[in-house]
Amino acid sequence: MSARFQTATVRRAGALVFLLALWESVSRLGWVDPFYAPPPSDVAGVMFTLFGDASFWGHLEATFLAAFAGLVGGLMLGIVLGFAAALSPLLADVLEPVMIMLNAIPRVILAPLFVIWLGIDLASKVALALVLVTVLIFFAVFSGIKEVDQRLVERVRTLGGGRRVLIREVYVPSVTAWVMGNLKIAVGFAFTGAVVGEFVASSRGLGYLLQFAQSTYNAGLTIALIVMIMAFVLVLFALAERLERRLLRWRYS
Amino acid sequence: MLEGVDLDVEPGQFVSLVGPSGSGKTSVLRAVTELQPLEAGSVELDVAKNEVGFLFQDDALLPWRTARQNVALGLRIQGAESERADEEADRWLTLLGLARFGDRYPLQLSGGQRKRVAMAQVLALEPKLLLMDEPFASLDAIVRMRITEELLGWVEREHLAVLLVTHDLEEAISLSDVVYVLSQGPRARVRARHAVDIERPRHVLESRQSPVFATLLQTLWSDLEDEADLDAVDFGSQVPEATT
Repeated sequence: MSARFQTATVRRAGALVFLLALWESVSRLGWVDPFYAPPPSDVAGVMFTLFGDASFWGHLEATFLAAFAGLVGGLMLGIVLGFAAALSPLLADVLEPVMIMLNAIPRVILAPLFVIWLGIDLASKVALALVLVTVLIFFAVFSGIKEVDQRLVERVRTLGGGRRVLIREVYVPSVTAWVMGNLKIAVGFAFTGAVVGEFVASSRGLGYLLQFAQSTYNAGLTIALIVMIMAFVLVLFALAERLERRLLRWRYS
Repeated sequence: MLEGVDLDVEPGQFVSLVGPSGSGKTSVLRAVTELQPLEAGSVELDVAKNEVGFLFQDDALLPWRTARQNVALGLRIQGAESERADEEADRWLTLLGLARFGDRYPLQLSGGQRKRVAMAQVLALEPKLLLMDEPFASLDAIVRMRITEELLGWVEREHLAVLLVTHDLEEAISLSDVVYVLSQGPRARVRARHAVDIERPRHVLESRQSPVFATLLQTLWSDLEDEADLDAVDFGSQVPEATT
């Protein structure tokens, strides 16, 4: 742990404490209406209550399930389609425009359609997270393969390697690097898909709670939920980063 | 890009190909290894395809594989079992002074070390014909001299046939038995063929003291000077004064 890192940590923690104290006092003093901006201590209280509430864990589970299913499914689908398109010109001609179109829209607007098609249960949330992640990963893999270092390809070919060796030794590892570089974004997308999907129509999940908090004008609950989602995603970012450092250890050290 | 290029490399013979940038020197090597298809003409090999080694200009190794795995890759492709390939790779790394670096990734090695790994990768397959495309251009003078010396020793001991592409005239003369000069491209052709009459085994620096060396350097230089477009000739620091 370097001195520079420690200094930065101290500064950040200081700034955070200062902002929270400022917010706490202006809210307590009534300078801003606590109805709109309840003091951080109240928000913390709401979080505490939520964790104590048995039904909250069900909502948490629903969101994580949707996000993970969408993430894993989207990674697999994106990798398979990306590889297929990169290796087969026929599939590339068909898939690329579809992906470009899907990429051109803010994909969360597909949420109402998925609710109509798949109902208000888990499936529509998974579908939204899946679409968000698949398009991202498709392009990472597709362009990753196209931009593979040709010197490495030639190297392996002159060593006598055929198509199978090339895929195993050159294409898969370089695509892994691209996918890992996008993993954190994919985690964020998966949660976006799950929560937005729940927000649009559902009976469970953090997005459902958000929708509930909004309809009852409960700013404290809204802020508490936002902060919690942020914290969860940050933890997952850290895990994704560890995985990245493990799989791409040749790049670090 | 090339036209009327007729080269011969005998077993145990070290042949160099020099010429202006853009004359297609590299294309010759790429044609031999089928990385680049021929439009006309032919490549006749007396050795099997897997007995041809290609040492490239850059030292691009698989960045996600350790030095050992990079060397073992060629052996495994040729059918060696992975344990056997690893042992063999370690033997080659040791031979090239990299015994302690087998577990390092290419990014953890210096340019000279990476070049040695690339050499080990190619030599481990025990090629009968070795193709080299300015393999040492990116190295600093001292490392370059040492690696060249090692490689020359290996080639002489094993009687390899070598085709070296370079624009370093001194390197070409001091290493080769025969130097071919290519003309300015496009449509480059062989402009001259010179035998290098310096005894083997050679020592790179000593062979530069030979009177044959000085005369031939002068000849090569004038060969290339005669090529019409002097501005396009790129020989770096190869100034003719060095010969007197």
